Amino acid sequence: MASVTLKNIFKKYGDIEVVHGVDLTIEDGSFVVLLGPSGCGKSTLLRMIAGLESVTSGDVEIAGKRVNDKHPKDRDIAMVFQNYALYAHMTVKDNMSFSLVLAKRPQLEIDEKTQWAAKILNLEPYLKRYPRELSGGQRQRVAMGRAIVRDPAVFLFDEPLSNLDAKLRVQMRTEIKDLHERLKTTTVYVTHDQIEAMTMADKIVILRDGIIEQMGTPLEVYDHPVNLFVAQFIGSPTMNMIKGIAEKTHVITADGVKLPLPKSHKAKAGQEVIYGIRPEDLDVGTGFPAKISVTEPTGPEIHIYADLGDDEICAIVRERQEFKRDSIVEFAPRLDKVHLFDAKTTMAIR
Amino acid sequence: MEQPRHLRILRDIAAVFVTFVFMFPILWWALTSIKPISAVFDKDRVVFFDFVPTLINYAVTLFGLSRSGIAIDQGIGMGVGGAEAYDSRRAILDSVVVSIGATAVTMAVAVFAAYALSRMAFRGRAAYLNWVLGQRFMPPIAILIPLVTIYKDAGLRDNDSLYGGYLGLMMIYALMNLPIALLLMKSFFDDVPKDVDEAAMIDGATRWQSFSKVVLPMVRGGVAASAVLVFIFSWTEFLLSLFLTTSIRTVPVKIQTFVTSTGNEWGFIAALGTAAAIPSFIFILLVQRHLVRGLTLGSLKE
Repeated sequence: MASVTLKNIFKKYGDIEVVHGVDLTIEDGSFVVLLGPSGCGKSTLLRMIAGLESVTSGDVEIAGKRVNDKHPKDRDIAMVFQNYALYAHMTVKDNMSFSLVLAKRPQLEIDEKTQWAAKILNLEPYLKRYPRELSGGQRQRVAMGRAIVRDPAVFLFDEPLSNLDAKLRVQMRTEIKDLHERLKTTTVYVTHDQIEAMTMADKIVILRDGIIEQMGTPLEVYDHPVNLFVAQFIGSPTMNMIKGIAEKTHVITADGVKLPLPKSHKAKAGQEVIYGIRPEDLDVGTGFPAKISVTEPTGPEIHIYADLGDDEICAIVRERQEFKRDSIVEFAPRLDKVHLFDAKTTMAIR
Repeated sequence: MEQPRHLRILRDIAAVFVTFVFMFPILWWALTSIKPISAVFDKDRVVFFDFVPTLINYAVTLFGLSRSGIAIDQGIGMGVGGAEAYDSRRAILDSVVVSIGATAVTMAVAVFAAYALSRMAFRGRAAYLNWVLGQRFMPPIAILIPLVTIYKDAGLRDNDSLYGGYLGLMMIYALMNLPIALLLMKSFFDDVPKDVDEAAMIDGATRWQSFSKVVLPMVRGGVAASAVLVFIFSWTEFLLSLFLTTSIRTVPVKIQTFVTSTGNEWGFIAALGTAAAIPSFIFILLVQRHLVRGLTLGSLKE
């Protein structure tokens, strides 16, 4: 049990700086997801917490103690790797107990802890098997078992689900979340999958190019993105983004279409803005017209794609409706869900 | 990608043909080793299978029996010669000692060096690898004469000291085989993801423990494959053994002595040759899977 604090962390590989000053506090017992596109520095940050990468400048603290110069094994952390990194020549039991054996713990304790971990992870029938005899999900669980037997202060997960198929990924997502609920161990989880981030995190940290763009609870970052990048990165299908000029009650696009605004909006009249509205906040009704291009029924809902000038917009409706291609339909945005971004700075206007 | 049917058939025919071309001399050799002399030297026709097989060539070369002795015992008049000069038991022992010794030395060095080259960053690593590979390009005959002189001065010739002779042969075989063993082992180490080392480190292993308890056991198939290759290269080496030793006679050198001024003992040559090939066959079969993967030098990733 411990908090993790990153203070003004920089990381350089030769002359190339990949992390540009990250400050982050991960509270004791929380589940924090580092989210971002590939190359954003999220894995590097995690590896710096683990001690697998050195820190160029700044401090890494675990449980209030500076650990910059500590060897990974002395940091009281456990890590689950993307490719599991299991020891292929050892049985499941030996894989899980390896750290305890190295620490020269009494055999009784080793057996007890391995049994306990195997029970939690439903691995009891497989203890004598080798990793090659297991399915992807089982291997993933062994990797987690290896982490939990040590009862570390912090769990680190590096894209642990990206090698699994879609169905298993959903299942393992729940299992990891459940494990965290039970053990309440501080967890740092790296992923590029925003669904994983949204469903699992207590706090999401969105990174781009080595800096933190935004952090907050999943719903905070979803409902109140601070800039265009966050708004587009979170949510699927992505938020509709339409360029225009702000007026008192609406935004006018280049084609003269009027997009309605709430009364309380903070944009200046004549300001170049980007009008953002999530597909599920866009309904068929009275608002602005667009030409239908494609409809995609997914079962529970229908995704409607339509052309608005040069932009393509997407709306999600739940009612069963038929739309003809090329027909003009009016879309009504939920005014309280409209996001406005400055076209120049890309920051949210609020 | 599915190939058209006629291409597949053509490919299979080509494969069988090539295999046959390569296997034929070995099969012919094995066949010769069990032929009686009359079948080996039939001046009217080529004898394929219509002969009475005999194990006399093996009895003489591998068990030290005398051909004339056997002939007298069986009451046939065929046997002349074939005495101690053809008893190859000592040669086999010499070959075993030298090959196993050379393999042990080679692997002991190659495993550590390859681990370092695979896992540690240091200045000149790429250049070093190229240099190692370059060693393989040098033909042994180019260094033969200086080597004989050096060995003489260093007391590594067997007519000065028998143990020195064994040691000398092991050392030069180890040197010859180090580059290939090193590159092979490096490719096997490269196949083990670095995450595994890191996982071991986080689990509390020291560098030595992560090498000895995790990474090395994971490449044991590769170690076996490389060792077999080194063993076979040492087992079949002729030139250096011929020049560097006198009383130590490895099997290839011994076989060469069966070519005599009074005629060539084809039966004995074939028998010892066939017998010597058997360990290679068995070892190769055991490690074939790893060997094919290793010889592609890490180009295949799982």
